[in-house]
Amino acid sequence: MLRFFLIRALRAFMTIVLVVTFAFVVLRMSGDPALIIMGPEAPPEAIVAFRKAWGLDQPIWIQYLSYFGAIMGGDLGISMRDGQSAISLVMDRIPATLQLTVPALILKLLIGIPSGVYAALHRDSAVDRTVMAGAVIGFTMPSFVFGLILVLLFSVTWGLLPSGGRDSWMHAILPIVTMSIGGAGILARFSRSAMIEILGQPYMRTASAKGLPWRRVIWEHAFPNAAIPIVTITGFMVGTLIAGAVVVESLFSWPGIGRLLVVSVSNRDLAVVQCILLMVAATMVISNFVVDILYGYLDPRLRNNQARH
Amino acid sequence: MSAANLIEANDLVKTYISRKGLFGTATHVRAVDGVTLSVAPATTLGIVGESGSGKSTTGRLLLGLEEPTEGQVQFDGKPMPQLKSTAWRELRARMQLVFQDPLAALDRRIPIGTQVGEPLDIHAVGSDKERQDRVETLLQSVGLRRDQAGSYPHELSGGQRQRVVIARAIATNPDLLVCDEPVSALDVSIQAQVINLLRDLQETRGIAMAFISHDLKVVRNISDRVAVMYLGRIVEEAASKDIFRRPLHPYTQALVSSVPVPGTALKDRIILQGEPPNPAARPSGCAFHPRCSLATERCRVEVPAFVTVEAGRKAACHLVPAASEN
Amino acid sequence: MANIAQSAPAIGTTQKMKKKRRFPIFVAIGVVWIVAMVVIALTADWIRPYSITSMDLRNRLSMIGNPAHMLGTDELGRDVLSRLIESIRISLMIAFGATLISAFVGTTLGFLAANFRGIVEQLVLMLADFQAAMPFLIMSLAVLAFFGSSLTLLICLMGFYGWERYARIARGLAIAASGQGYASAVTQLGAKPSRVYLKHILPNIASTLIVSMTLTFPEIILMESSLSFLGLGVQPPMTSLGNMVGYGREYLTRAPWIMLAPSFVIMLTTLSISIVGDWLRDKLDPTI
Repeated sequence: MLRFFLIRALRAFMTIVLVVTFAFVVLRMSGDPALIIMGPEAPPEAIVAFRKAWGLDQPIWIQYLSYFGAIMGGDLGISMRDGQSAISLVMDRIPATLQLTVPALILKLLIGIPSGVYAALHRDSAVDRTVMAGAVIGFTMPSFVFGLILVLLFSVTWGLLPSGGRDSWMHAILPIVTMSIGGAGILARFSRSAMIEILGQPYMRTASAKGLPWRRVIWEHAFPNAAIPIVTITGFMVGTLIAGAVVVESLFSWPGIGRLLVVSVSNRDLAVVQCILLMVAATMVISNFVVDILYGYLDPRLRNNQARH
Repeated sequence: MSAANLIEANDLVKTYISRKGLFGTATHVRAVDGVTLSVAPATTLGIVGESGSGKSTTGRLLLGLEEPTEGQVQFDGKPMPQLKSTAWRELRARMQLVFQDPLAALDRRIPIGTQVGEPLDIHAVGSDKERQDRVETLLQSVGLRRDQAGSYPHELSGGQRQRVVIARAIATNPDLLVCDEPVSALDVSIQAQVINLLRDLQETRGIAMAFISHDLKVVRNISDRVAVMYLGRIVEEAASKDIFRRPLHPYTQALVSSVPVPGTALKDRIILQGEPPNPAARPSGCAFHPRCSLATERCRVEVPAFVTVEAGRKAACHLVPAASEN
Repeated sequence: MANIAQSAPAIGTTQKMKKKRRFPIFVAIGVVWIVAMVVIALTADWIRPYSITSMDLRNRLSMIGNPAHMLGTDELGRDVLSRLIESIRISLMIAFGATLISAFVGTTLGFLAANFRGIVEQLVLMLADFQAAMPFLIMSLAVLAFFGSSLTLLICLMGFYGWERYARIARGLAIAASGQGYASAVTQLGAKPSRVYLKHILPNIASTLIVSMTLTFPEIILMESSLSFLGLGVQPPMTSLGNMVGYGREYLTRAPWIMLAPSFVIMLTTLSISIVGDWLRDKLDPTI
C-alpha cells in the first residue's frame, strides 16, 4: 500500500513540476519578462533592477531553478493593476468561487447520478428518454448559452432573479444552476451506462438467481461496483468545474477567481495569471491524488495487490 | 559430418529481466541457457520441448530477432548483424519465419496477393510485372489458386492462411526457414497437408529448416535431426530416427513414450512427476532432476555437460556416458 | 423504487435493436446539417448578403423577418445573417485546422512512443497525463495572456486540444500490433519502420482515429466559442460564433436573436457531429 501512495505522490509532484516548467517556458517565450511584467512604460532603471531581482542576467537553468524556488516559497509576483501581491489578490477571491463551485458540484451529483441510475434501471421508459435527452442537451449546449437563456427567461422576461453581481444569495441561484447543468448531463449519461454495463454482468444474474430480493441485489452488488467508475469521473469533474467557473463568473459578473483570470488575461496581468494557473494545477493534482486513493480503496482488486504497471 | 553449416549457434544465452513495478526486485530469467546447435543446408532440424523450454526464444535468436545475452549466431560463416540494422534487414531475404498464428501474421486489410508479394517489394526484387508473375507462381506452389490473390485473410480457412504465410516466407527464395509451431493452430487433418507442403518445398528448393514444436509426431515426420530442449538447454540431439528408436536421455524417453504408434495401444508410457518447468525457478544441478526417476546425488548438484555420446549424437546427462569414456 | 422488480427482465435484453431503428433518422438529419454548415463555410464569401462590417445605420436593431435583413441587425446596423455566415466559416475553419493538427501531432507522438519505447515513451505518456489532467480552458487562457490572440496562434493553441487521446490510441494499437501481429511479421520480412507504420499500422487504426476526431471536433468548437465569448478568442473585426454570442449579450433585452442565432448554430452543429460520430463508432466497431 505504501508503494501505491508513493507512486501516486511522485506522479503528482511531476505534474506540478511540469506546470511550473510550462509557466516558465511560456513566460520566457513570450518576450522579455521584465518588459512584460513591469509594462512598457516602466523606467529603464526599474527594468534593470527587475532583471537583477529576478536573475534574468543569469544562465537559463539558474533562472529556472530560482523561479522554481520562488514559486515554492510562495512569491508569485505583484499584480500590475493595483500593486497588491498576486497571491493575496487571488486568495481574496477564493471564497466567492467556492460559493458557486461547491453547491454546483453537489447539485451535479444529486441530479446527475440518481437520474442516470434510475434511467438505467428503467430502460426505455419516459424517464430514461428524458434523462438521455437532457444529457445530450447538457453537453452540446455551451454553458454560456444556457446561462444567457436562463437570464433571458428568469431575469428579463419574468424578472424573478437578478442577472449579475453578488449582492444576495438570490444572485447565486442562476450561476449555480448554469454551472451544474453540463456536468449533471455528463454524470447522468455516464452513470447510466456504467449501471447498464453492471446490470448485464453475469454476477448480477447469479446474485438474483441465488434468491436475493432484487432490491438487495442492486444495493449490495450493483451500486458498489458502479461507484468505482463514477468516483473516477467525479474526480474529472473538478477540472471542468474550474473551467466552468471561468465562463459562468464572467457571464454573471460574479467576483470570483474565474472572472479574475479573464480580466487578468485581458490586461496581461501576468503575475496574477501565473498565480491562478499554479493554484489550479495544485487543485487538480490534489483532487486526482484523492481520486486515486479512493479508487485504490474502493477497488478491492487494487487493495490487495501491489501497485501494478 | 560438418559440411559448411548454414547456420550455427554457439553457447547462446538469453536472459530476461522481469521486474515487479517500478521499484520491485528484478528477477533474471534465463530462457535460453547455453545452447549450441547447427543446421546444415537443405536439412531440417526439429527443436522439441514443452512451453518454458526456450525453444521459441532459440528460434528467434537464430533469426537474429533478438540479441543473445551471451554467445553468438553465425549465418553462412558470418556473424548475425545487429537487429534492425540495414544489414539485418537485407539478410531477411535469406532467412524467414513462419508463425504459429497465421491470422495474426497477416494484415487483415490487404489482399493476400499483395502480402505475398510484399517481401519482393521490400527487397526490390524484379520489375512490377515480374513480381506479379512471381506471386502467382508462389500461390500455386503452396497449393492455392491464382484467383485467390484478391482474397482477404479472413476469407480463407486456417490451413489456407498458413499456406499464404509460407508463400510469403519463400518469396525471396530464402536459404533458411524457421517455423515456430506452424501447425499447432490447425486441425489435425490440415496439419498433415501443411507438413507435406513444407517437406516438398524443402526438396524442390533446397531450403534448410529449423522446425520448432512441442508435438513430437509432427517433428518426427519432417526432421532429419532433432534437438530436445528442457528449461533452456538442449538435453539430447541426434538424427531423427535414432532419437525415436532409442532415446537416451530420460526426458526424451518420456516424450517418445507418449507418441502413439498407429495400430497399437500406448504401452510403457513414462509419466513424469513433479512440476512443469519454470524458467524463473530453475532447479540446481541438472534442471530435470526433480522429475527424473533415475536422478542421483550427482544430478542434484552438478550440471551435466552437453557432449558427444555416440557418433552423430549428443546428450547432457550424467547417466549417459560421453563417447570417450566407452 | 417500487418498479425495481420490473427492471429485472431488462438484463440481457438487447436494446440495440431499437436504437438501430432510431439512429438513421437522426443521423441523416445530422449529416444534412453538417453538410449544410460546410457548404456555408466554403461559399461564405458568395452567399453573404453584406460584408460583416458594413453598417446600415437606418436599420439598426431591426427584427427578424425584415426583408432586407433576414435575421435582423445589431446596434451598429450590421446584418446578423451575414455575420452568422462568416462566423460559421471562421469557427469551422478553426475547429477543422485544430482537429487535424491535434490528430497529426497526437498520432505521430503515439507512434514514436510505441516504436522507441523507453524514455521516449515515458516522456510522451507523462506529457499526455499532464495534458489530460489540466483543464484546457485554463491553460489556453494562460497562453493567450502571454501571447495575445492572433488567428494563427488560436488555431495552433486549439491544435493542442485532445492530442493525448490520439497519442494513447495510436500508441496502444501500435504496441498491440507489434506484439505477435502483422506489424512484427512485416518487420521480420525486412521492412523499415516507416513502411510498417505508414502502410500497415496507420490504415488499420484509421477508423478509430476518425471516430476520435468526431469526438474532439465538437469539443473544440465549444472551447473556441467559450474563449471568443470571453473576448479572448477570435478578435474583432473577425467574428466567430462565440464572439457573436458575447456581443449579443449586450442586447439580450432588446434584440435576443443576436445571441440566439449563433447559439442555435453551435448547438445543432455539435449535436450533429456527436450523433454522426456515435453512429460511425457503432458501425466501425461492432464489438464495442
